[in-house]
Formats: sequence, C-alpha cells, structure tokens
Amino acid sequence: MSLNLTLSFDSLSRVDGSARFGFGPHPQYLSSISGPIEVRLNAEQSSQATIEVHVRPLTNVPGTESKKAAVILKDILQMEVIVEANPRTLIQFVVQALIPTPKLTDELVAAMINCCTLSLLNSGSVPMRGVICAVSIARVSSLDGKKPVYRTQPMEEHNSRVLATGCFAFLFSDSFSSNTYAATCVWTNWHTVYNRSIEAIDEDDLVRARDAAQKAAREVWIRMKMLVEERERPGVKASKTLVSRSTDESQKADATDDDDKMEI
Amino acid sequence: MRPPSPSIPEKEFLLSALKQGLRLDSREFFDIRPVTLTFGPELGWVECSLGKTRVLTQVEAKMVRPPPDRPFEGFITIHSEISPMASSEYELGRPSEEEVTITQMLDKVIRRSDVVDKESLCILSGQRVWHLRLNVHCLSDAGNLLDCACLAGIVALKHFRRPDVEVIGEEVIVHEPTSRAPIPLSLHHNPYCFTFAFYSDTSINPVLDPNLLEQRLNGGLISIALNAQRELCVVQKSGGVPLEPADILKIVNVAVQKAKDMDAFVEARLQEDWEGRKIEVR
Repeated sequence: MSLNLTLSFDSLSRVDGSARFGFGPHPQYLSSISGPIEVRLNAEQSSQATIEVHVRPLTNVPGTESKKAAVILKDILQMEVIVEANPRTLIQFVVQALIPTPKLTDELVAAMINCCTLSLLNSGSVPMRGVICAVSIARVSSLDGKKPVYRTQPMEEHNSRVLATGCFAFLFSDSFSSNTYAATCVWTNWHTVYNRSIEAIDEDDLVRARDAAQKAAREVWIRMKMLVEERERPGVKASKTLVSRSTDESQKADATDDDDKMEI
Repeated sequence: MRPPSPSIPEKEFLLSALKQGLRLDSREFFDIRPVTLTFGPELGWVECSLGKTRVLTQVEAKMVRPPPDRPFEGFITIHSEISPMASSEYELGRPSEEEVTITQMLDKVIRRSDVVDKESLCILSGQRVWHLRLNVHCLSDAGNLLDCACLAGIVALKHFRRPDVEVIGEEVIVHEPTSRAPIPLSLHHNPYCFTFAFYSDTSINPVLDPNLLEQRLNGGLISIALNAQRELCVVQKSGGVPLEPADILKIVNVAVQKAKDMDAFVEARLQEDWEGRKIEVR
C-alpha cells in the first residue's frame, strides 16, 4: 500500500527548524522547534533538557484536545531526543494545525508526530536517538467475515466498518542500508471503537496491527529520508531508491579533491 | 523571556548606515519587502509573507443568534495570539507589548473601520445572523508583524465565500457548497496598513516596513491604515520621538501610493487564484 503523503521543510526565520506534514494532498500540520535554548528557572532540570510542546488548533483557543495532544507528543519526543546531552536547556516545539481539527483523530496524532520528527531533522541542533515515524491503522470488518483487514488512513467509506483503531509510533534507526534497519514500536493507543466492536482486543490482534503499521511507517520513514536527500543534494534529482554506500564513497573522494584545490 | 537587545555595534552600524541613506538589506527607504500570498485549498485560508515575516489567517462563519441590542447585524470577531513559533521570546498566556499592539490595530483596522458590511450578514433578523471569526496566526516575526497581519486579514476576508442561505418564511435553509456556489462577503472597503519607523536622530528619514533590527532600534513607530481610495482609517503613533507635521504629510502621501499598488497586487493574486479553482456552474 503506498501512502499519499505531503511533506516539506519550511523556512521559518526565527526558529531553529520547521516542517510541514500531512496524510493526503495537503499539509495538515506545521511544526517548529527551537532548541536548545534558555529555559525558565522553574522549568529547569539539572541533568536533562526540558521539552515543551504547544499544540495550536487553526480555529478556537487551544483547549483540552490540544492539551491531550501536547501530552502525547511530549512523551514521544522524550524518547526521540537525547535529553541528557543538553542539561539545563529548553527544547520548544510548537505544532500549528493548518486545517480545522474539531476532533483529535488517530491520523492527526500520527501526522503531528511525523511533523515534529521532520522539524527535528530540519533543525539539526538537537541530538536524536532515532527517527520516529507514526501511522494510524484501523481494523475493518472484512467482507468475507474471516480474516481481519488492517488499513492505513481509513477513508470515509470504511468508517461504519471500523472495529478498532489506533496510532503506532516506531523508532527507526539505520544500520548500513535501508534494507537492514531497526524499528521498535515506542507508543500506541490501539483501542476498540466505542460501542461498535463485540469482541475485545487480544494480543494477536495487537501484534498483527503493529506489523501492518510497521510496514506503513517504514514508507513514511523512506519518504522522510528522500526529503532530506533532496535538501542535501538539490542538484541531484531524488531517486526512487535511496543512495547506496557506493555513492557515499565517491562523495568522500570529491571532498579530498576540494581540500587539494584549496590553497592556504 | 526577554529578547536580547541588539548589541552596541549593531546599533551603531544601523544608525550610521541609515544616516547615510542606506538600509542594511539594500532597500530604498520607502520600499516594502516582497509580498507573497499563498491561498489554501479551503476558501478563506491565506498565508501572507512580507519578506521573512509570515502570518497565516483563516476565516470561518457560523450561524448564531444575534445579541438583542443589534438584531439586524452579523458580527465579526478577530482572534490573534502570537505563539512561540513566531519567536521564542513570545510566551503563551503573557501578551507582550507587540501582541497587544497587533490585537488593538487589527481591531481598529478590520472591525471598527467597518470593512465588512454587517447588515449583509443578517439571515433572519433577531434569530439568525452570521458570526465571522478571523483567526490570525503569526508564524514568523522578522519585523513588522502588524502590516503582515492586517494584509493577511483583509485578503482572507476577500478570499472567503460563505454558504448560500435561503429564507422561506421562518425557515432557514443553508445550501451546501456543492449545490449552490458560496457567495463572497460584502466588503465596504479594503484598508491596508503601513508602518514607518523613525529614530531619535531626526536627520534620519522614516523607513517603511522596518525589518527586525530596524524595528528593535526604533525611536518611534507610526502606522497608517488607509484604502486605495485615499481614505485614512487609522493613524497610530507610538514611541516618544516627536514628528514634524511636514514629515507626517510626506509619510501619508507615500502610504497613499503604496496602498494603490498593494490593492492592485492583491486583486491580481485573488483573480489568479480564483481562475485556478475550477468551479462548474450548472
């Protein structure tokens, strides 16, 4: 299943990093990060950086839904950022919704997480443990009634058949190539849809949902890497497959040539 | 958090450059930064950037019961709050001076100068009127947030289309955008705001559209809101340095010319965007 994503790095001038992300043809969130910056005395922690998240809806004042989203994001970002590296500082995230968000759906939570990850990558000033990508998965009642079907980005027509839904966030870290990678599920809110499902969730269901989510999250991860590649090497057209190690070698050779050319 | 004041070398450099008639970003004294307007997929969603300063605005409309003292008019509320995204010096919940200025000016320029024809927002007098809500989000503060916010607000109001409403007796039918084309708001005029910064050294001429450093080091700011028909809406001066009447008249004349140019630009962009949206009229 190929996801329809919109992702881009933004260029807000007063913050360290900014990015936009959306599931679908238009961006849903714009997030910015400033850090490590000065922290207020009452929020200072002596051995780690303080993470502050502000979620702002497009319309209305931020209310309980925004606060709920901010708490979720703070937990996840705590796992993504290496907070021990910069004690007594503040890492400030602001997530601005670009579309009206009357209800906090799992897809929106996933979009927010991805958006924060992208802005962290854009800033480059905050050390990261890995890249956290999130997707939302729904289990729909299958037409033949036998095998459960898991879908990403539940469309409107599936809504009446959705039995369980949730957002999964995975921490990805590269090893040598994108074929061997490590992915751990760091957060989920897999739950049955209220009043709809007769059966409860069991462990097998959760494992199946998580595996389906991991495949989709990997696609998000690959798109993020492609975006970074485009940014780093704007002359080269972003290839469908990511750069392999051999091209990295040739880049090293270029660097030594440049050093030779410089006369000091 | 208090912003770090510009350093003394920066201050001396800027003031001596301005004395020689040079602006640090090589603009003329009465040049504004390049304006870009980006329209969103929804009508009434605009992102306006004035150089590196960026503001996002969105208009939404709800049907509500009008207050008993004004049963024939709709009303408009403007919500603007600066988040730490604009700069980490802004804290949520503690309105800075800049924020208060912007809120007051937006109120004066858009609400009190009667931009929107409020009587046209009435659906069923005494029972149903349109309540327009203009949400202003300041995304990046690189100087002169006020002009950018006012421009974005006006453009959003011009871009917005409200649903078509039919009243039969006491019954109100709201038509979906897919069945009947939404209709634009009825606006009396389009004011644009221009801010000039002037300095304690009176030999320095006022500069239009100050960038961040110029704004930080100003001796005073004067903001003029006017429309392309040469009608002044708001003149606001803040800061201690006195201005000669001749200077003010010169500034007003410059603003008049800029308002005409801005109006032409905005109309052209709106037209361009409207043509890009394929609306089939059956």
